[in-house]
Amino acid sequence: MDTSSPAVLVNAELLKMYVGKRVRAVVMVMRIDGGSIIGQSTDGHQLTIKGSQPFPLSTFIEVIGIADTNQSIRAEICTDFGDKIDTSTYDRVCQLANGEFKSLFV
Amino acid sequence: MYSSEFDGASLFSGGGFMPSQATQFNDSGFSPAKSRANQCTLQLTVKQISDADQASDDKSNFIIDGVDVNSVTLVGMVTNKVEKITDVNFTLDDGTGRIDIHRWVNDAAESNQLADVTNGIYVRVTGQLKGFQGKKQIVAFSVKPVTDFNEIAYHFIECMYVHLYNVKLQQISGSVHPQTVPGMSNSFQNGPMGHQTPISNKFPGYLVDAGSDFDQMVLTIFHEPENLAKESGVHVDTIVERLGVPRNKVMASINYHTDNGNIYSTIDDYHYKSTING
Repeated sequence: MDTSSPAVLVNAELLKMYVGKRVRAVVMVMRIDGGSIIGQSTDGHQLTIKGSQPFPLSTFIEVIGIADTNQSIRAEICTDFGDKIDTSTYDRVCQLANGEFKSLFV
Repeated sequence: MYSSEFDGASLFSGGGFMPSQATQFNDSGFSPAKSRANQCTLQLTVKQISDADQASDDKSNFIIDGVDVNSVTLVGMVTNKVEKITDVNFTLDDGTGRIDIHRWVNDAAESNQLADVTNGIYVRVTGQLKGFQGKKQIVAFSVKPVTDFNEIAYHFIECMYVHLYNVKLQQISGSVHPQTVPGMSNSFQNGPMGHQTPISNKFPGYLVDAGSDFDQMVLTIFHEPENLAKESGVHVDTIVERLGVPRNKVMASINYHTDNGNIYSTIDDYHYKSTING
C-alpha cells in the first residue's frame, strides 16, 4: 500500500492547481512539435506534452507525469488509449475527482 | 499460507470442480459461509482501501463507508510484475495509490492468461481484500486487461456511485431512531384524542377515550351488562343516585361522552345508552 504519490486526474483547467505535482490527463494528439506532443485536453484546451515518444495523430493518449506549467506536462508514462474515448465523460470524472469526491482519489 | 491454499485447491479440484471455481473457493479461506454472506463486490480506489479501517486483526475484515469489504474490483496499471511457478504478483497503480496483487496460478490456461498481463498495461482486478503481515493486499481471482479505455472513467464513476450509495445508506439507517422518536412524540402531544378515538371505535370497551376519572366512572355504568341490555338505556337520575354527585356534573360528563360517540340519547333527553353494542 502506497498512496504517497498519487497522479491526480486533470483537465487543462485543473492542471493549474497542480504545477510541480504528479498528474494524469487524457489528450488527443494534434501535432508533433519537435520532441513534444501538442494535444487537446478533455476540456478543449491545448496542452504540451514533453518527453513523450511520438503517437499517431488523432489518437487519445493518457499522460502520467509532472505538471510542468499551466499548459504542459513532463511525461513519465504515456499510454495509447485508442481513438474512441468519451472526452466529456472523462472530463466530468476529472471534475468530480477534484471536487465532491476528492476524498476517494487524493 | 501456501499449504492451506494448496489443500483447499486440491480438495475442490479432486471433487470435480472447475479449477477457476476452486480458486474462488480457496480464496475465501475456510469460512465460506461468512464470505458468501457478503459476496457483493465493491468498486473501489486504492485510496479508499488505504483509508479503510480494519475491523479486527482477522485477515479479511475491512470496513469502507460502513460496509464490510470482501470482494473488490479495481482498475489500474500493472507495475513490478513478478512471475513464479505457482503465483503471479504485481503492484496495481490506479493513480490514487498502489496496492499489491497476488494471483495464484492453478493451471496452464490461467498462466497463459496472465502472460498477457505485462507491466504498463491497464487491467481490471477482482479479488478478495486481505490483510497479510500488516499490509493490505488483494488475492485476485480475475485479472483482465482493459481493452476499451473508457472503462477507466467508468470504473471511477462506479466508485463514486458505490461510495455515495453506501454513505447515504448509513445516513438513513443511522438516523432512523432520532427521526422516528420526535415524530412519534409529536403525534402523541398533538392529538391523544385523535389517536385514541378511532381505536375506541374499533375496540369498544375499556379502550375508549373515557376522559377524566369521573367520566370513566360514568361510562363504566353505561357499560354494565344490565344497562347494555336495556333498550332505552340508563336514566340520568340513576347515575346521579349511583355516584352521589350533582346532576349538572353528570350531565356534563354525558355531554362529553355523547360528543365523543361513546353514548347516545334514546327515548328522550334523559336516557342514554352505550354505543359499544351498537
